[in-house]
Amino acid sequence: MKIKSLLIANRGEIAVRIVHTAKKMGIKTYGIKTAKEPNALYLQLVTNVCDYSEIVGEIPEFLDIEKLINIAKSNKIDAIHPGYGFLAESPYFAKRCEEEGIAYIGPSASAIYKMGNKTIAKQLATQHKVPLLKGSIGNVRSIKQAKEISKKIGYPVILKAAAGGGGRGMRIVEKESKIEKMFKIASSEAEKAFNDSSLFIEKYVSNPKHIEFQILADKHGNYIHLGERECSIQRKHQKLIEEAPSSALDEKLRKDMGDAAIRIAKSVDYCNAGTVEFLLDGRGNYYFMEMNTRIQVEHPVTEMVTGIDIIEQQIKIEQGEKLPFKQKDIKLNGWAIEFRINAEDVQAGFSPNLGTIEKIYYPKGKNIRIDSGVMDSSVVTPYYDSMIAKLIVYSETREKTITASISALKKFWIRGIKTTIPFCIEVLCNKKFRKGEFNTSFIEQDMKKLYYQGPDDEMLAAYVAAFDFAAELETDRSTYVNFEQGKNISPWVLNKRLRSF
Amino acid sequence: MKLYSKKSKNIGEEYIAVTQKNKRFIINNPFSEEPKINNKKADIKIFESEEGFTYLVWKNKKYLAEIIEKNQNKYTVLLNGVSYSFSIESPISYKRKKYLEKHKTKSKTEIIIAPMPGKILELLVEENAEIKEGEPIIILEAMKMQNEINSHVSGRITKILVKQNDSVAKNEVLLEIEK
Repeated sequence: MKIKSLLIANRGEIAVRIVHTAKKMGIKTYGIKTAKEPNALYLQLVTNVCDYSEIVGEIPEFLDIEKLINIAKSNKIDAIHPGYGFLAESPYFAKRCEEEGIAYIGPSASAIYKMGNKTIAKQLATQHKVPLLKGSIGNVRSIKQAKEISKKIGYPVILKAAAGGGGRGMRIVEKESKIEKMFKIASSEAEKAFNDSSLFIEKYVSNPKHIEFQILADKHGNYIHLGERECSIQRKHQKLIEEAPSSALDEKLRKDMGDAAIRIAKSVDYCNAGTVEFLLDGRGNYYFMEMNTRIQVEHPVTEMVTGIDIIEQQIKIEQGEKLPFKQKDIKLNGWAIEFRINAEDVQAGFSPNLGTIEKIYYPKGKNIRIDSGVMDSSVVTPYYDSMIAKLIVYSETREKTITASISALKKFWIRGIKTTIPFCIEVLCNKKFRKGEFNTSFIEQDMKKLYYQGPDDEMLAAYVAAFDFAAELETDRSTYVNFEQGKNISPWVLNKRLRSF
Repeated sequence: MKLYSKKSKNIGEEYIAVTQKNKRFIINNPFSEEPKINNKKADIKIFESEEGFTYLVWKNKKYLAEIIEKNQNKYTVLLNGVSYSFSIESPISYKRKKYLEKHKTKSKTEIIIAPMPGKILELLVEENAEIKEGEPIIILEAMKMQNEINSHVSGRITKILVKQNDSVAKNEVLLEIEK
């Protein structure tokens, strides 16, 4: 079946990203306008806007399965792309699409269900000889049981939501005295986030690297992987910087882990794009963590080093096309790093920095890719996550990519909100990061400061404040009319006057 | 791109930018052709880009600048994405400020503020309870994450200003603790 129209059940940069490929393929796109973000960038790019800004439902728009099905049916839309987050890993949504004859751009409902349930996923991994961490068999029902299991496998342990992902419902427990409190927090968080409070326990490997493999599988039984991504720069289990390939892997380990990832995918007859996540310890041992049955935020770094448009492959796979390449055709060229530009105040513990993006200016260059969900005057609302854009930088070697990235980040200008840019620059300046000697504890263990400051920055800021203060005094003192004043006025005084009209 | 020339009659003026950690920058004639910072010539130029950004040029490098908060002589400036707070004093007002600080009596009451906007999921303490430094007080949900707010002091809780399910703004006072 040829897909001619596509409903994007998502927002932000991923909606923009999907439109980009759909346009290239000549597919009509439908976007959903919500009351929370009626002027969002993606709405300007889609072919058709479905306006739901007047209707305020009980369930948020991107989580309302029946409403989405309805939009697709009433507009005779061929396919739905869920993006990431929201309904991207809901087996029920995939099933409802199938029932209604709408092509779901993603794996089958049963594959989503099996991989989404961490207990089943772990059983499958064991059956297919993929290494796992010691942990609870099945869900843990009570604090008492949690204590027994943790004692057996030894502290530190990690509590995880059985239905979880994205760091929610996840807590590390260092010692027995803390387990009761952490169990309560994790299960209530899981209940809120996923409507399922069940938890499981795993041995916690301290200081591992987070390595994941991108999988593509078609409807004809062909499975390939597009190499790894390293996503070890994380804060509270939220990824902040990702790269491909990883400096920790050699060809042998890449082949081993890639094969293991494919075994996981095959165990659920996986079809479409997916990601298998592993922990890698300092001795080259790897452990299966989970499979994400959707496109991921960090997919662009893989696209940069393989030259493959993963969204395009997702759509073609759904159309029933065979993968146009074999494993031996996949070569990883050069090095790509992605930076998540989040509306967060790094100086205030990464707290959300809501507000209006007055102006945004992107660095330019042929090896610079910007996946952005915002534009001038976009509003950062509390309703959605804080990521506003991604900067992806590519070059021949890791070292060159790091140098190019620092320069690109310094040219990425935003006015109106604070972002994670100063954090990203500080990471790139860190010696251990540059040597590739880092793991998931990097932020807590290896960063003395969380944001970059140049040697003269504070002095320059002091000058700006004194300049403005003096300029204001100057304005107050002038009693005569000076017709040329506009020429000499400070930009801050000018801005202030313009606003006062 | 347009350079805003800085001509002023107020030559000879001195301002002191004081940081929160009491670091001082003495700035002479900021609104002139030849400003000085800490008695050294500082050839800083201010530009406005075509896109409407204000930036400084200093030693051939560009610095993005924005005043994000301003209240009389209190400033917060964002420079290359990092914020800096100052109070701008004249030599006279600086002397007065120092005098006042010296004679200020230290308050015994500490406040706990919300580090980010969010919703109070759970209150873990009650009024009049004794609390130790580092102990959790409140679970605050922000951007779908649960955050534990811990006390930075030991003492007795004298007042709780929020209740469960309240939505709070950033920097809102949550409770008071007597040391």
